[in-house]
Formats: sequence, structure tokens, C-alpha cells
Amino acid sequence: MRGTRAISKIAIVGIVIVIIVVAAVVGYFLMQPAKKESVLIMGTTDTVESCLDPARAYDYFGWEIIQALGSGLVEYRPGATGAAEDIVPALATSWSVSQDGLVWTFNLRQGVKFDDGTEFNATHVKYTFDRGIGIADPEGPFVGIGYGDIIENVTVVSKYVVKFYLKIPFSAFLSLLACQASYIVDPKYAPLNQVVEYKAGDARGSHPMGLGPYKLTKWTRTAGRDEEMVLEANPNYWNATGGYPKTQKIIIKFYADSASLALAIDAGEIDIAFRQLSAADINNLKTKTHLKVWQGTGAFIQYLVLQEKRPPFNNPIIRQAVAAAINRTAIVNTVFLGQVQKLYSIIPVGMFGHTDVFLTLGDPNYTLTRQLLAPLGYNETNKLTFKLWYETSGHYPQSPQLAQMLKASLEASGVISVELEGVEWTQYRQERIRETMDAYILGWYPDYIDPDDYIYPFLHSSGGSWLHHNYANPKMDQLIEWARGNTTASVREQLYEQIQELMAEDCPIIPIYQGSAWAVTKSNVKGVYLDITQSWRHWLVYKE
Amino acid sequence: MSKPAVKRNMLSRIIPAIGSLKERGLSGWLVILGAAIVTSIILMTLLAPWISPFDPTTKGINVGAPLTPPNSKFPFGTNDLGQDMLSRVISGGGIMLQVAFLSVAICLAIGVPLGLFSSYIDGMFDRSICLIMDSIYAFPGLILAIAIAAMLGRGVVNMALSIAVVYVPSYFRVVRSQVLSIKEMPYVEAARSIGAKSRTILFKYILPNVVPSIVVVATVNFADAILTAAGLTFVGLGVEVDVPDWGWDLTNGRRLLPSGAWWVITFPGIFIILLALGFTLMGEGLSEILNPKVGE
Amino acid sequence: MTLRVYIISRILLTIPMILILLTMVFVIIRVLPGDPVLLHFEKTEHPEAIEEMRQKLGLDKPIWAQYFDYLFGLLRGDLGKSMHDFSPIAEQIFSAFPATLELAIYSTIIAVSIGIFLGVEASKSYNKPKDHTIRIFGIVTYAIPIFFLGMLLQIIFAVNLRWLPVGGRTYPTMEPKGLKMSLSQLPEGFTIHLLLSCMAGLMISILCFAALKLKGKKITRKILGILISIFFIIWILWAWVGWYFISKGELHIATGLYTIDSLLEGNLYKFAEAIRYLILPSLTLGLVLSGVFIRLTRSNMLETIRLDFVTAAKARGLKETTVIYGYALKNAFLPILTMMGLQFAALLGGAILTETTFSWPGLGRYIVDRINFRDYTAIQGAIVFFGILVSIVSLVTDLLYAYLDPRIRL
Repeated sequence: MRGTRAISKIAIVGIVIVIIVVAAVVGYFLMQPAKKESVLIMGTTDTVESCLDPARAYDYFGWEIIQALGSGLVEYRPGATGAAEDIVPALATSWSVSQDGLVWTFNLRQGVKFDDGTEFNATHVKYTFDRGIGIADPEGPFVGIGYGDIIENVTVVSKYVVKFYLKIPFSAFLSLLACQASYIVDPKYAPLNQVVEYKAGDARGSHPMGLGPYKLTKWTRTAGRDEEMVLEANPNYWNATGGYPKTQKIIIKFYADSASLALAIDAGEIDIAFRQLSAADINNLKTKTHLKVWQGTGAFIQYLVLQEKRPPFNNPIIRQAVAAAINRTAIVNTVFLGQVQKLYSIIPVGMFGHTDVFLTLGDPNYTLTRQLLAPLGYNETNKLTFKLWYETSGHYPQSPQLAQMLKASLEASGVISVELEGVEWTQYRQERIRETMDAYILGWYPDYIDPDDYIYPFLHSSGGSWLHHNYANPKMDQLIEWARGNTTASVREQLYEQIQELMAEDCPIIPIYQGSAWAVTKSNVKGVYLDITQSWRHWLVYKE
Repeated sequence: MSKPAVKRNMLSRIIPAIGSLKERGLSGWLVILGAAIVTSIILMTLLAPWISPFDPTTKGINVGAPLTPPNSKFPFGTNDLGQDMLSRVISGGGIMLQVAFLSVAICLAIGVPLGLFSSYIDGMFDRSICLIMDSIYAFPGLILAIAIAAMLGRGVVNMALSIAVVYVPSYFRVVRSQVLSIKEMPYVEAARSIGAKSRTILFKYILPNVVPSIVVVATVNFADAILTAAGLTFVGLGVEVDVPDWGWDLTNGRRLLPSGAWWVITFPGIFIILLALGFTLMGEGLSEILNPKVGE
Repeated sequence: MTLRVYIISRILLTIPMILILLTMVFVIIRVLPGDPVLLHFEKTEHPEAIEEMRQKLGLDKPIWAQYFDYLFGLLRGDLGKSMHDFSPIAEQIFSAFPATLELAIYSTIIAVSIGIFLGVEASKSYNKPKDHTIRIFGIVTYAIPIFFLGMLLQIIFAVNLRWLPVGGRTYPTMEPKGLKMSLSQLPEGFTIHLLLSCMAGLMISILCFAALKLKGKKITRKILGILISIFFIIWILWAWVGWYFISKGELHIATGLYTIDSLLEGNLYKFAEAIRYLILPSLTLGLVLSGVFIRLTRSNMLETIRLDFVTAAKARGLKETTVIYGYALKNAFLPILTMMGLQFAALLGGAILTETTFSWPGLGRYIVDRINFRDYTAIQGAIVFFGILVSIVSLVTDLLYAYLDPRIRL
């Protein structure tokens, strides 16, 4: 009968489903591939912002990967605090500097090979720096840090000896060579005049490095967003004899936001979660016995920038009034649950040159704010009004919360009224360039470990041009140039004190807090070093 | 006539309506229940400045320790900035309600007349508008709303506009199909043969018959507008963060959920569901009353 | 009109519709306020870089030239270059699309299954508590914000129970590769290949001929014509596709859908993993969408159940299940089919909220990312791609509808 056919159709569908389920279950348990031991899975919410070419890459995550794939002449040893002794040989075994500080000579490590067998020598060093300075990518570190203003030329003296002739006696030069922008490229993969970009399906061709602890064996970007990266041990690594890298294979998984990352590490799907977890997540994961939370030295700072092109912030008194109305304690304790520290200096705590100058303006000191603003006509009925901008793309941790806390803190003075405006990161950068924002929040990771990296790009009239806040003080410029050109530590310390006292008077930028690096790993993961370089060293991490 | 008669007329209009709803059985109850939910939420939002225990804006930061679970002082707990969640829930419906009402108003103002004229006039004009409407209709609503909101910027008006653009085709279609079927009816032909102007026909005969379907679409529009507004806020295109808003609490609460702070997302979430539910119930009930599917 | 005429006219209608859509998109993007390149580019101090970008994207040519480039590029499958990193948009879209397709397929299956089953149950017990509960269930699941529901499921099943994964499509390095066969052992030479494909075409047409003869059908001239065209089509297709793979040295069939590719590869473990990762996202999406189908099925079934032929079938003593599923549902199915087509097409545009919650690398995330980056060329490419896709899906739905509903052919 026709009726029975209808039933048997359902039965067929049911049988098919049962077969699929049984096949899946059988397959799952019987055909499991042997789990290799030396594999680590890292999860992150970061993504490569532009590319993995040191000539252009200037984002945190790009530099993190470049460090795994390449090496520089020198590097910071794990656990570094920024002292001179922390810089150790990498591709250079020894070095010396001339009396006037303008000529640096490096003796290179011998017997280091690129992956095609070519031996690393001085020509590669010259090629790297000529290329970086020559390409002069406007979005890259060579222009941002001003390599071209520091290095006159690079000379190959002999196969294993290279000389750098500098334009100024830049005291942080050695530190500069330790940063990822100075990493040596492989000419075979790095065309002289072109930046190397992501190539789908060709992980090796997507970056120009080659002398590092790892090789990039897989990099998938689905639709412009990173999906997965696989790092595998490089047998030619110059420190392979030391037993590095400790883990043969690292897989990096990318997550959309902190919530997904927190879930993933809690569920045990990844071994390491690094950047960015929110403060509440960190506190929660600290209570889990199967996980370990690592806290590193902070050198990440966030600060408020004030636009001096027009009122109200073209008046330094108003800028000081705003600085006096910032309640850093509330920010540190409420937004970040005590995981960061208050910052009263543009140079982070722990770095030489740090002085708590902004403390003189109070924390907060609403009386001072009202005193400063009263003569200018601002009071409870006529409040100082301006727009505070912040980014909404998760580029910095918890920006909306920070913005709201700042608003609350400033308005608690009774004489300030703040309007918030949040835009996503791309637009935020554009507004910065167009100089439409009156007050905006930004952040900074160190490029090289020297106070100059926190002074020159902020307070110097040309070094700070990327900030677009139109601050220029010739006296400040002079002090900065003296400080970066001087090699005596005591002299520099004095100069940086003067610079910062001047900064507290001018108040172009107001430092808010200093943050740590946080990583959460499974309890059997070891070898995590989160020091002042803010670098994640993949080759030191391993699982027991 | 004297005043009392006028009063009686009004009352007898309102009460019989409710009375007739009750007569309709379940569908009537659905409408009443839905309307009750919506009205109470609107009332709560309007009375918020007087009934919230604490200030839900940035002035209310740190009234309590951040992320305290629900207790006697803070029945709904506090969020990550130490703001009282109960106050935020009481005050937070305003944005969504504004967006919903505004988008429906825009849709009514644009979609209904467009549908009426286009289907009545017919021809090339109708065909091309149909094509445009179909293309918009086929496109996934949230993504279109995101694209438009990204272009226009943040804020209530822009959110309402982007939702309206996504929803106009629905009104258009419904109106059009009704007009097409009514157009051919004998009494319309009769009116035309008497020499009635098109405008009269349109507004006196066709429009009143189209109204029931519009009402149903409007209720669905309300519910969808609320959910889309939540979606827009999720991708960062909502209102500014210092304005108390359920959508923002939902997004923020999601970030805090893995760490165990379930109360930040749950209570606003419940109210969003309630509000959308209220409109949907009204829509379901009205749809059954106005277009009875089953002969009872 | 007959079925054939309807099919042909419907297919032909798609072409001008797509053309109009493409032109509309082109015009709207150009009409947008602001110069796309300037709006996108950060540093205004480098006019050479801006010029370079314009050139790379072909935006320096006159409008009509851009329009024709655009149209002819589409014929070649070129959707333009992304403003973000100048990579071809078609490549980016095609790398994201299979993930969206897979999610769309399984979510629709779940939504429709739950929806039809519950809708039928509700219609069977009209106005009783079961009906009310199911209706409320359908309304409530639709009203729950999807990222809330998704995260709840993640916390319960992934973090607390550890049964299912939190997100992604599969375990890292476990991506199925599809079917890979080395073709180096096959005989070389294009002529031999041509002969082989000719033989294949002949064999297949002869088989069809024999089958028809066995069934007793008369071989008219029309049928002979069809057989000959089958022969030629198979010959040409086989030769073309086959030569493409032979010149590559290996046969690689991969759909991008992990569930299918793992089966093609023959690896059941990868299949199981793909399904494990699919469960939560498609369940979340399916639950939320099921409400629509519950409501639709219920109302259509209520109408159909009252009709005479159903009463007649019941009177004949057929089992309730047979009557409901065999007769009533079949007749109520058509509007459900249309809705399936609509929903599926909408899902193909990417379910952005689900994709973000479950780190699913699909089109939804792609499009929203591009919107955030103000990557106008990519947005345009995505809209075009999606428009063509929806036209095809609605075409298929309409054709299916016409095939199933005899009334259309009148």
C-alpha cells in the first residue's frame, strides 16, 4: 500500500542517520592519529596587522612572529630589565664602539646558514639596513623610529665584520639593533625595493626572515583575517646546539575576542592564551587549578593626548587642569581590577629615567583643577566641555571602560563636561591624522628598551609628528637631542629629569597607567618569560 | 448632544475592543498579554529617573564594588565598572524602544505609500521598484543594517534608519500583494465606473483593507528592530557607551560571562527577550484575529 | 505555460536581473560620499602612494571604462582587488565561502527538521497545552540574542562538560584535504586523452540508449538528438576537466566542506572532528531559526488538515502518521520550501553573530571586517558575489516549486 511506502521512507532516513553517527563515533575513537608530544597550541586575539616584513611591520603581533622567524645582531636575554648587561650576542659575537660614539663595529657569528645553505655574512647585514632605509615605508618602523636619521651608512669591512657609521652618537643604538625592525633578512626572499606580503598557500614566501628558531610552515588568512599559523623548528638556527627551540612545533590559533579566548583556555583547547584577556578573566583563571597565570613586567603604557591646534587645549593651563582631574586609582582598581599600575611619568616604572612628575599635579586634585579653570571663566554653570575619543576595536584592552572612567573622573571635578566618542580603529587613525579629535587615548609598546623610545616619539616636534597633536617646544627638542646623543648615564638621567619637568608644565600628553603582559597557560607549560621587552619568546616555551 | 453621550461613545469604543479581544479566545489573550508586557516596559523606562535606586550613567560608577553578584543592596548585582545593574536595566530600554518606534515610523512613512502607489500605478515603475525591493529583501538583514549604520555613524537615528531600510521591502510586499488582490474586486470596479478619483479609491477603499496586514508586519518589525539593534551594538555600531542601553550591557556582559559574572548579561538579556516577546505575541494574536486561518 | 517554457523563461529572466543588480551595486558604491581611496588611506602626506593605490585598483580610469572592466572581470571570475592588501577579492571570498556554506547547510537542516516536526505536533493538538508550549518555544528561541544562546551552550558543553569544542572548524592541522590522486601513471599525450574521453562519452550514451530500449520506450528523433548531445557534452567536459587535472599531475577534488572532504579523503577521524566542531554553531543557529519554520508549518498544516482529502484518508483507516506525513505535509510543503530557499540564501550571506561567537571563518565575519576597514572594493565584490548566489538559489527554489506544484504549469 502507498501508506507503507511513506513509513519506510522515514525508516530509510533514520537508518542513514544511524549509520553516519556510528561511522563518526567509530572513526573518532579508532582512527585517532597518535598525538605528537612536542606540539604547543597558542591562542591569541591578535592578528598580523600588515605583513611580516620588518621593513614595514610595526604592530605588536607582527613583531612577535618576526622574532620567532628571524634573528638580529644582538638580543635581550630572557628576564631582561633594560640594563646594558642584558644585551647579549645573537648573530654578532662581539662589538665595539668608537670614542665619539659614531662608529660601531660588529664581529659576526660564523657558520650560520640560511635555509638554502648560504652562509650568513656581513653583506646580509648591509642589505637588510640599506633595504629598510631605502624602502622608507611610511607606515613602517624605519621611518617611525627614524633609522635614516641615525644611521649614515653600513659598511662591509670583511666577510664577518661590519661597521655602522652613525649620524649622531645615538646612545640606544645597541638596543635598537635588538628590536625586530633590525632583524636580518634573507635577500633571496626579500626584494630590495619591495615589501614582502602574505602569499596564500606559500608560507615561506610570505616573509623574508630565515635565521630564527622557527620556520613558518603554514599561514592561513581566511578572507583577510588570520586563521592559523604553524611554526616548526629550524634546524639551521644558530642556537640549535643550545637545545633551542624547546618545542618542535607551535600552532597559533586566532580568536575573535577575549571571551572566546577565555573559554578556549578554560576548556583546555589551547595550551597558552596570550593577548588579550580582560581583567575579570585573569582573576577568574587565577582560581583554576589546571591553569597557571603568568604576569610580566609592564612596559605598555596608555596616555591621553590633547590637541593643541585650537581651543580649549591650546592653553597649557587648561591642559594642566585636565591632568589634575584624573583619578588613576579608580582607573587602576575598577577598570583593571588592580592588575596595572598608576603612571605619573611618560617613562615606565622600572626603566631608568622614570620620575613621577605628574604626581605634582595631583591624583586627583580637584581643587587645583577648579583653581586653574576659574580665572578662565570655567565653573559649575559654565563647564569646560570637550570630546574624548577612544577606539572600539579591541586594539587596546578595555578602551570603552577606560573612557567611561576618565569621563567620570573628569566630571567629578564639577567644572568639566566630557562627551565620549568611540570609533573603530581604522577610522580612529584617520581622525588622528586629520586632527579632528580634541582629546584621545592611545597606547605604546616599546620598540627598543631605552627612555629615548618613550621621549623622542612623543615630545620631539618631528619625532612626535605621528601623534598629530601639534606640540612643539624648541627647548624640549634641544634637551631630547642632547639626551639621545649623550652616552654618559648620569648626564642622560639629569636631562630626562629636566625633560619631564618641562613636560609636566606643558602637559601635551598625560600618562595614565602602565600595564603588564599576561599569559595564561596549562599548568604543565614552562619557560614563559614576560620581561620588559614585551616579547614572547616562542623558543623558550615547552610542555612537561 | 450633551457631553455625557460623547464620553460614553469613547468608552464604548475602547472597552468593546478589549471585550471583543477576549471573545476571540487565545489570540485575544495573546494580544492583551503582549500589549501588557510592552506597556509595562515602556512605563518602566519612562519612570526610570524616579524609580532607579542608583544613577545608571557614568555618575553611578563605583556605587558598589565591581562585579558583585546579586545581593540585597544590588538585586541585579553590579557590572565591571561598579554600576548597579538594576538601575541600568530600568533605564536601559529607552534606546531600543526609540530605535524600534522610529524605524517603524520611517517604514510606515515610506514603505506603505510606496507600496500603495507602485502597485496601483503598475507598469515599468512598479516593476523596477519591485526589483529594488526584492534585492534588498533577499540580502541578509543584519549585514545590510551593519553596512548602512557603518556609513551613517552611531546613534539612535542612524540605527533606526538602517533597520528601516532593511524592513521597508517587507511592508512594500505585503501592501502590494493586498492592493493587487483588492484592486480587482467588484466594489473597486464599481467605484471606478462611477468615476471616483484614483486617490479616493486608494485611500477610501484600499487602504483600510490593507491596514490589518500592515499592523501585523509592524509588530514583527518592532521585534526584529530590537534584535537588530542588539546586533548592531554587538559589532560596535550602537549608541555611545555612557548611555545606559540593554544592547551594550549584553555585549559587555558577554565579555564578562566566561569569568563567571552571569548577572551582567542575564538580566538585560531577559528584558530584551521580554520586549521582543511582547511585540511578537501581539503580532501572533493580531495575525490570527485579522487573518483567521482556521474557520472556528 | 508548460513546465519547460516556465523553466527556460525563468532562467533567462535571471540574467537581466543579475545585470541590474550589478549595475545598482556599481552605482551605489560610486555614489557614496567621499573618495574611497582617500577615505581609506591613512597618510595624506604621500600623494604618490595614493596615486599608486588608485592605479593598482584601476580607479583612475574614467567611469565607463571602470564599468566595463567590472562587468568583463566578473565574467572571468575576477571580483577586483581588496584595498587592504591588494589581494584578489574572489580568492578571499572563495576561501571564506565553504565555511559559510557548510554552516548554512547544517543549520538549515536542523532548523527545518525541528521546525517541521514541532510544527506538525502543534497542529495536531490545536489549542491544547502542547500547541501553546510549542508556539511559545518557537517565539522565545527566535527572540534570544544569538550570541547569548551560543555562549551559554559553549559554557555548558565546552567548558563545563568538555564534550564539544569552543570554536573553530576543526582541530588544528586536521583540515581534510579532499580526494587526492596522483595521475602520473596515466598515459601522457593529449590525443590519447581525447580518444579516452570520446570512448567514455560513447559508452555512457550507449548505456542510456540500452536502458531506454529495455524500458520499452520508443526511440524518437528527439530522444536520439538528446543522446547525441549527451555524448558530445560528456566528451568535451571529460576532456576539458580531465586535461586540467592531468596537466597538474594530480587529481584534487576538494569542496571546502569539511564533512564532505574528510569522507573524500577517507579519514573518518577527520569526519568525526568536523562534525564535533559543527554541532554547537549549527545547533545554535538552527534553534533560533526553527521558530520561523514551526510557525509556518503549523499554520499551513492547520489549513491542510481541514481539507477534504485528509478527512477521506483518515476515513479510509490509514494510520495517523501516514496521513500527516504522507499526505498533509506533502501538500503543505510548498510554502515551507520557499521559506527554506529564502533562509538558506540569507544564511549564505554569513551569520555574523554566530561566526563571531564560534570563531567560524565565514563570509559574515569577512564582510563585517571589510566594512570596518572601509575596504569598499571588497564590500562591492562581496555584495556582487552574494547577489549572484541569491539569484541562483531563488532560481533553483522557483524551479523546484514549479516542478512540485502542477498549478504553476497551467
